[in-house]
Amino acid sequence: MQSMELPLVLFTVLSQAAVGMVLMSAVRGFACHDGSDARNEWMLVAGLMGLGIAASLFHLGHPLEAYRALAHLEKAWLSREVLAAGIFLALAAWAAAMGGGKGALLWGAIVAGLATVLASGMTYAPPAFPALNNALPTVFFLITAVVMGAGFASWFAGIGSQPLLARIFTTALVTGLVVRLAVPCIWLSGSEIMRQSGLAWLGSPLYWVSIAVMAACLGVLWKNRTIPVWLPILALLGELAGRAAFFAETVHTALNIGSPY
Amino acid sequence: MKKHYAFLVDSEKCIGCFTCAMACRNYYHQVEGVIWRQVYPLDEAIYPHRERAFFSLACNHCENPACLNVCPVVAYTKREEDGVVVHHQEKCIGCGNCIRSCPYGAPVYNPVEKRAEKCSFCHERLDASLLPACVQSCPTGALTLVDLATLEPGNEVQFPAGFPKAEKVNPSTRFIMPKVPTLVRR
Amino acid sequence: MSHTSSSLSRRQFLKGLSVAGAASLLPLRLLMPYSAQAATAFSEKDFQIFRNACPRNCYDTCSIKTYVKDGIVQFIEGAQESTFTAGGLCVKGYAYPRRVYSPDRIKYPMVQDGRRSGNWRRVSWDEAMDRISRKILELKEQDGNLLGLGLTKYSGNFGITNYGVEGMMSSLGYTTRFVGTPCWPAGIDAQNYDMGDMWCNDPEDMVKSRYVIIWGANPAWCSVHTMKYIMEAKRRGAKVVVIDPVFTQTAAKADVFWQPEASSDGALALGMARHILDLGMVDQDFVNANALGFEEFAAYLRENVTVEWAAGLSGIPAEQIREVAEEFATADPATIWIGYGMQRHTNGGASVRSVDALVAMTGNVGKEGGGARYGHLRTWGFNYHALIQKQPEGSVGFIGATGPKGEFDFTKGEAASYSDRTFNINKTAQGILDAKDPALRMLWVSCKNPFAQDFDRPKLEKAFDTLEMVVSVEQFFTETVANSDIVLPVTTLFEEWTVNVSYWHYWLGINEQAIKPMYETKSNIEIAAELSKKMNELAPGSCTFPQDIDTKDWLEKEFNQGIYDYFGIKHWTDLKNGPVKAKLASTAAWHDMTFGTPSGKYEFRSDLCAEHGHEALPKYKEGRKPYDEFRLLTPHTQFGLHSQFVNLDWMHEYNKEPFLYMHPDDAREKNIRDLDMVRVFNKVGELRVKVKLTRNVAPKSLVMYEAWFGRGNDFNVQNLVDDEAADMGAYKTGAPGVAIHGQFANVERV
Repeated sequence: MQSMELPLVLFTVLSQAAVGMVLMSAVRGFACHDGSDARNEWMLVAGLMGLGIAASLFHLGHPLEAYRALAHLEKAWLSREVLAAGIFLALAAWAAAMGGGKGALLWGAIVAGLATVLASGMTYAPPAFPALNNALPTVFFLITAVVMGAGFASWFAGIGSQPLLARIFTTALVTGLVVRLAVPCIWLSGSEIMRQSGLAWLGSPLYWVSIAVMAACLGVLWKNRTIPVWLPILALLGELAGRAAFFAETVHTALNIGSPY
Repeated sequence: MKKHYAFLVDSEKCIGCFTCAMACRNYYHQVEGVIWRQVYPLDEAIYPHRERAFFSLACNHCENPACLNVCPVVAYTKREEDGVVVHHQEKCIGCGNCIRSCPYGAPVYNPVEKRAEKCSFCHERLDASLLPACVQSCPTGALTLVDLATLEPGNEVQFPAGFPKAEKVNPSTRFIMPKVPTLVRR
Repeated sequence: MSHTSSSLSRRQFLKGLSVAGAASLLPLRLLMPYSAQAATAFSEKDFQIFRNACPRNCYDTCSIKTYVKDGIVQFIEGAQESTFTAGGLCVKGYAYPRRVYSPDRIKYPMVQDGRRSGNWRRVSWDEAMDRISRKILELKEQDGNLLGLGLTKYSGNFGITNYGVEGMMSSLGYTTRFVGTPCWPAGIDAQNYDMGDMWCNDPEDMVKSRYVIIWGANPAWCSVHTMKYIMEAKRRGAKVVVIDPVFTQTAAKADVFWQPEASSDGALALGMARHILDLGMVDQDFVNANALGFEEFAAYLRENVTVEWAAGLSGIPAEQIREVAEEFATADPATIWIGYGMQRHTNGGASVRSVDALVAMTGNVGKEGGGARYGHLRTWGFNYHALIQKQPEGSVGFIGATGPKGEFDFTKGEAASYSDRTFNINKTAQGILDAKDPALRMLWVSCKNPFAQDFDRPKLEKAFDTLEMVVSVEQFFTETVANSDIVLPVTTLFEEWTVNVSYWHYWLGINEQAIKPMYETKSNIEIAAELSKKMNELAPGSCTFPQDIDTKDWLEKEFNQGIYDYFGIKHWTDLKNGPVKAKLASTAAWHDMTFGTPSGKYEFRSDLCAEHGHEALPKYKEGRKPYDEFRLLTPHTQFGLHSQFVNLDWMHEYNKEPFLYMHPDDAREKNIRDLDMVRVFNKVGELRVKVKLTRNVAPKSLVMYEAWFGRGNDFNVQNLVDDEAADMGAYKTGAPGVAIHGQFANVERV
């Protein structure tokens, strides 16, 4: 078990929530025009991403030198992640200042946001974690983005959009639950490190908290049909727990040197 | 092929004496908990006797180093003249991405400097035509310096059991596997 | 900051990056020899280079090259000049730079208010010496002699000038000495009976061997530099057989490993001898021309020994014994390395004699690449100037017969009416408790850690509690220091001048003072001078030790023409250019077939041995009867030399905690799982430790490696080892050895 990497947990989940909100904004835009509170919504988007980036600095040994992380765009997905997240934050802040984002600004934010999620997905899929050295991190992160995006968007969307958001929230939760339950079980039949990762996830209280929270959210929606105001907070806690398990429990190849792989 | 220095780990000659590991510490005085070269015992599934065969491992100075590829501040370079992967600690911001990414656990976090560090292949000694501290220290010649460009093909392997098979990063270390004696027991 | 080799990266990546400069000014790695990212190549010119020699009790006695900068040892390496050390040290040696600068080091003289209380307070050297001197004078006044003052010293520092500790005792008067050696005495006596001395071939000639049997030694841990010769012999076609009750790291490198019953070695050797005799493979030329009593030995074999009998006792199948015996007798040359482990039994000396006989009857004694290798003291011909000090006028001492004071006692037994009183070093606790007229009241401990090395630790604590004053000369707060009243901080090898030789190889190395002594540390002879000053201040004439000494002068006084000629040097300062090897007429011991025995021949029948109460022939002697369920073995760890090194934080990086090793089948029976905490106990005492299950260990045996971990870890194998004597040792070392491996214990899960 590695460190929980709390700053990275916060950064990835909060940034994905922010990206998800922008995606939901676009979806709502296509679906119907409702009287949403665009300024506050964009303020929350910018705030989540800003908070995430601020949290990520605590992960660095030398936070004041963080700006240098842009130096390796040619190769390092982490540099690209920093760039994309920075652009997204700038666009979101601009949109918040403008009182809302539409058109090119919205599309710019969507592109930067998806790039951020993709870059995160690539950054956290290194060869040292065979269980994650694939598309899984990107899939996990996209699901988080949609769940949290739909959840937080419900705070700002008009009545008309609520059933749509609830459907998206539900669909994403079901997908997330299935993926999250299936993945460690599939790992069990994989290589040694994958197997160990699967066992570590399945033995992790954090993992089961995230599963339980997702199931509980689904239960609430089953009864409620719309998203209660407090539910996104619960979902956020579940996502944070799941992400903490993602960082803490996935097994690094170096831990097994000298033993069969 | 270009000149590419590598460690040849001959586990048949290795006696697991940890001399190489301590020679490294003697030379660089790493802070507590920071290990550049470690001696890993092989599991009984690989060598049938517990803690009787070993891999002495440090940085593998890979052809396509994960550390270099993921470092956001370009703190890693690969020397053109001999393939040595150098970590320039003064550039490092301590993001830990290399530590997370290297399949071999070569870069480690220095909690005092708050930056990563790893085996340098003693490049400052190589530049003075000296052997790395660990290689010089080995009492049985189990740990040697080879040039992959001129290494005669023999019974060396790149991915023995017990060593992560990260083909994409293409680690330069080569191994010779240990033998088992005839055992006569009561 | 520019890097000579990073042009590629600079071209590619630094173009758009103007920020790296500021960071490079950060004060990184202030304490390092130089930054790992050094811009320039390594240069010896940046350092002052000194020659040192590892003074530990070790076969390898490495020649060290020390790199000093700003008065600080930056790093060390093995001397390239020595073909034995060959540029590399070992895991222990490379930890030296930490040992000097360890935060755990004892820095000043200190006094403990209440033993084991930990209430240490710093005192001045003057105050410490004043307390010690007054106590010595008090003993002298009350007892009328100084026999109430004891010294226990052994192998903690083999630097020749450190024999000044014994010299210091002599300079005070006749005192009580703990003599003998826990290490190798039974084998020393055995080799003396057989050949007239302990003398081994140059280990470097093992490459010429066609057959190598390593019998009860584990060089992969305890003589790493010898392994390359064994491996080279193997590469050249020699067969390597390792005989050991444990599947050691050395065994893993062998062609064949035998795991016999511990202490059955004599039977095994005799069984092989019988088979060789039966096949007519005896070297008749050797046994006729150069040996005494072979026919009697042969008759003993025919009458009392069979291969099946040996197989029954040892557990090694008869066909195996025959096969290896035949191969050994056929190979030319063939050699046996007799490890110290196999003679740490109640029958240890007898077993060594049997193995010697096996080597001799096959004509392998006196042959390059052959030999019954055990050890030697051929290179130890120093003046022992520090050792030989005169008692003050009118000193009163012990009246009665005494033997040598250990294997390194090179004094030629001065004829005096009085002598020191001697006690067996292997029964330290009993010696203290039994001492009468006068009782032992004060003990000086140097170059030794009795609480880690002496046997029956519970009894030792009781014995120490009867002493009125214990003075320890140490570098770390060991358990012995905890049981002392005063501790005096002693220098490391880098802080004093001395000279070192090995009891295995034939190299000689100087030990230069590379740095000024840290804190208030002093070398053993400087401490003696300090004591002499105070003694004479309080009672003029009470101590003859020189009061003002220079360790370099004292080093010089150890050399003589004999040493110069033996090593082919003009002056000791030649050694500043690196270690030198003895100019050997042959790499083989006894190459001229002139043995040191009374007959001048190899003695299969030794009347001298019989005079000392043993069998004249190398007959089988039974080992110790089990006194508990499991055999207990407590051999050396690779991470320490006895109680030294294991405590260092650098060593903890690779060796975090002690373990008990036991066979999985026994564990199943005892309901013990891997890594469980267990209690190991016997009639002596007990300890608690984690267990690792492995078939490296024979069934019904428990293995733990002796070590002192420090840092609050009270692991100590001497809680389980009693002081039962080995059969031999008294002849040449003054006291019999000790049956360290003739021990038994039980185990349970806690």
